[in-house]
Amino acid sequence: MSSLRLARATARLRPLPVRLPAQRRNYAEAVSDKIKLTLALPHQSIYKSTDVVQVNIPAESGEMGVLANHVPSIEQLKPGLVQIGEESSGSKQFFLSGGFAIVQPGSLLSINAVEGFPLEDFSPEAVRSQIAEAQKIVGGGGSEQDIAEAKIELEVLESLQASLK
Amino acid sequence: MAFAWKAAGLTYNRYLAVAARVVRRSLKEEPRLQAERRGEMDLRFAKWQNGKQGDNKNLAEANASARVDGAEHGQQ
Repeated sequence: MSSLRLARATARLRPLPVRLPAQRRNYAEAVSDKIKLTLALPHQSIYKSTDVVQVNIPAESGEMGVLANHVPSIEQLKPGLVQIGEESSGSKQFFLSGGFAIVQPGSLLSINAVEGFPLEDFSPEAVRSQIAEAQKIVGGGGSEQDIAEAKIELEVLESLQASLK
Repeated sequence: MAFAWKAAGLTYNRYLAVAARVVRRSLKEEPRLQAERRGEMDLRFAKWQNGKQGDNKNLAEANASARVDGAEHGQQ
């Protein structure tokens, strides 16, 4: 990330071709370092084709940061924190319950999830009590399904607890 | 990638539903009450056979028992 910035900074230092003083910015220049983000839930669009600078997503294959001109890919998301670096208002964080992120050519990023909320909407007490409950079920003698579901819950809750700290 | 929930016979759809449910339950009181309405489902179905309507069944319960049966018989 920082090496990227450095590369970009040095690129800027190169002598520019002679330009007319009042030349307007053209379209390609204006959008070149932004990524169009769509963050959609079944019941709500949090972002709708909004220009942002960077998005960090918790993919199953590892945490990844997406900048403009990222290679096209499809990533399954773990339950975790999505960080969105906006142009002006700094960075925003949402906890998503899991879904998919799709990077398309032309700096388009679509994130689809079932539930997603800003971190301040979560209650640390609720998380803590649910972890205790889920651990009881995992350690108990329930059916295989019940234990598997409790393990999913634990995974989500532990990720959520780590994000809340 | 091998997932533990897959080995237990759960589908990806079910995995997402469980993860979303626990996220909704972790919210503060006010957003939680709003969000938990989305988790409610009450669908019933009846199977028609030989021109007659069968019993009304709750879809969620039928799905749950089908999951248990499927896992016991090593299907999915």
